[in-house]
Amino acid sequence: MRSKFVLSAPVFVLALGLAGCGGSTGGAGSGATPTDCSSSETFCVGLVTDGSKIDDKSFNQAAWAGVQKAKDSLGAYVRYIEPAEAKDYAASIKQFTDQKYDVVITVGFLTADPTVAAAAQNPGTKFIGVDQLLDTEKVKSPNLTGLTFPADQAGYAVGYLAGLLTKTGKVGAINGLEIPPVQKYFKGYEAGAKASNPKVEVVGVYHPAGGQPFNDPVWGAGEAKKQLSQGVDVIFGIGSNTGNGALNEVAKSSGAGTTRFCIGVDVDQWGTLPEARPCLVTSAEKLISDGVAELLGQAGDGTLKGGNFLGKTGISQFHDFDDKIPADVKAKVEDVVKKLADGSLQTNVVL
Amino acid sequence: MVPLVALAAAFSVGALLIRSQGVNPAYAYESLFSYALLDGSGLTATLQKVVPLVLCGLAVAIPLRLGLFNIGGQGQFMVGAIGAAAAAYALRSAPGIVTIIVTMVVGVLAGSMWASIAGLLKAARGVHEVISTIMLNSVAGGLIDWMLNGPLADEQVPYPASHAVPGSAQLPPIGVVPIGLPVAVTLAVATAWLLRRTTIGFRFETVGRNRYAASYAGISIRTTTVVAMGIAGGCAGLSGGIELVGVEPYRYQDGIAASLGFDGITIALLARGNPIGTIPAALLVAAMRAGAPHLALDTGLRPEIVDMVLAITLLFVSLPLVVKLIFRKHAAKGSQLASSWGA
Repeated sequence: MRSKFVLSAPVFVLALGLAGCGGSTGGAGSGATPTDCSSSETFCVGLVTDGSKIDDKSFNQAAWAGVQKAKDSLGAYVRYIEPAEAKDYAASIKQFTDQKYDVVITVGFLTADPTVAAAAQNPGTKFIGVDQLLDTEKVKSPNLTGLTFPADQAGYAVGYLAGLLTKTGKVGAINGLEIPPVQKYFKGYEAGAKASNPKVEVVGVYHPAGGQPFNDPVWGAGEAKKQLSQGVDVIFGIGSNTGNGALNEVAKSSGAGTTRFCIGVDVDQWGTLPEARPCLVTSAEKLISDGVAELLGQAGDGTLKGGNFLGKTGISQFHDFDDKIPADVKAKVEDVVKKLADGSLQTNVVL
Repeated sequence: MVPLVALAAAFSVGALLIRSQGVNPAYAYESLFSYALLDGSGLTATLQKVVPLVLCGLAVAIPLRLGLFNIGGQGQFMVGAIGAAAAAYALRSAPGIVTIIVTMVVGVLAGSMWASIAGLLKAARGVHEVISTIMLNSVAGGLIDWMLNGPLADEQVPYPASHAVPGSAQLPPIGVVPIGLPVAVTLAVATAWLLRRTTIGFRFETVGRNRYAASYAGISIRTTTVVAMGIAGGCAGLSGGIELVGVEPYRYQDGIAASLGFDGITIALLARGNPIGTIPAALLVAAMRAGAPHLALDTGLRPEIVDMVLAITLLFVSLPLVVKLIFRKHAAKGSQLASSWGA
């Protein structure tokens, strides 16, 4: 009993103290002013993450950056929700649709099914699914747009750079599971490397099925080590954490950044994987924020169409390697990126 | 009494934190709870969270009677859910009702078996259950990753996931009430009865109070340990099964288990090991979790504020134990909760 009293005493003091200052709280802001999204004057945009945080330095953050980009020109009111569990996706989307948001953006393939369902239920709301390839045979909602990216082009661009960087004439890739998105990156890489350096040898290895193909950094590191010992001097890591393992291995090896280089994937991995910075020349990047901003712009002027929308890819900044890469190499790569974007150069990747 | 005081204290500290962010605490709490309890979809979200929290809370509360600290609710939940997913896939062409029943039974057995491993290790070799259950969580994670990429993988889905439960066996909420809610409440009451009114409960209690005396009185410590862990794992496993057939996306995929098993520890401690107490404790945690996104949307506060308030609550709930341990060196005989931390 004594211990209970010991506990209660400070609690009551605290409670009293709080009650005392209760009167002065009124003016200190009563939350955000609720915005009426149902009126046609306010353009409201809501974003639902895939369970990761908004500052995940990856897809969610990039999508939110796209929203921020479009915000001013649209005069939009923007909000986001970070659902904690998979079962909260639908409820999170519903929070926005209940308040009559004009556009709801969902990020990542995990949120694809709830997005499709919500789009069918709310024909008046526009939905944008980031990195969600729609099965247009089944999904016909005119208010749902799936934003995906031509990974082969990104692969081609970094492959082109790799072909110019290699001294040994051997470039490599460590791949996650042998599935279309990964194959596209790799085949693009292969084609790009051959285009810039016809004599180059491209070696690539896919994670065997089973286990955790996208979360096996130890396997990735092991395969990277093998490739390095075979004389490969540029390694492209494709496949989330497995690829990260490979990049880290290159970063730790002797000659990292001078004779051995690595290339990241999906987002600018300079930010997401600082450990790889010693060797990370660039990343094959899906331009998520540009894609989101573009689609939001279309939603704003009423030209947004349903179905799949192919965004753009590019290569990330060179960061510390900016002055180490020869100017003519940079110019050539830049030219390739530009030609890929305007369609005058095709990767010719077929799966 | 202690949980209520702790709660008041935690909410007061939370109010200070909220105010420091420039938001009126009264408005924030109102926004949080009015969405979680008064809004239709908010209430469904809350109640859907209550179910696994109660069951995972029981999975911790039952072994606590014996002074065993089951940290493995997470793994037991996951194994129950994957077992249920496998059963539902195997019975995909059977009538819905058969699938549901078999799925639940498999969930219970899988969770029970998983927890019994820790129980057997404890009984046979004296392996500490905190170590073994926490390691079994990781084993479960690895096993499930393999299954979702191999034997149970749904090739139509571009990420690791099991096949969806057939439509006839899916149990969406009736109105706002998820199907698992009556099951969870009944089980909480049944557990209270089991612990207070049956010989099994008496054995648990006796072993928890003094295992030497219990052993002298002819109670088998080993059997009791395994039985308690088995029942606990069954609760967590059932919770996994219910989650699979009763909650979208009706399949096993990343994010299904979230941290439900670990939240069970919070629930059991908030309820001070009382099975009935897990219901209000779960309701509180569920409401706060369900309301957090709305709170963030409404006020611009980070949703983590809710986890902070819950953590502070837990801290205050366990304070009396800490105080006891400090002021009375021979605290062990007083509370079975205290003994679980030490031994």
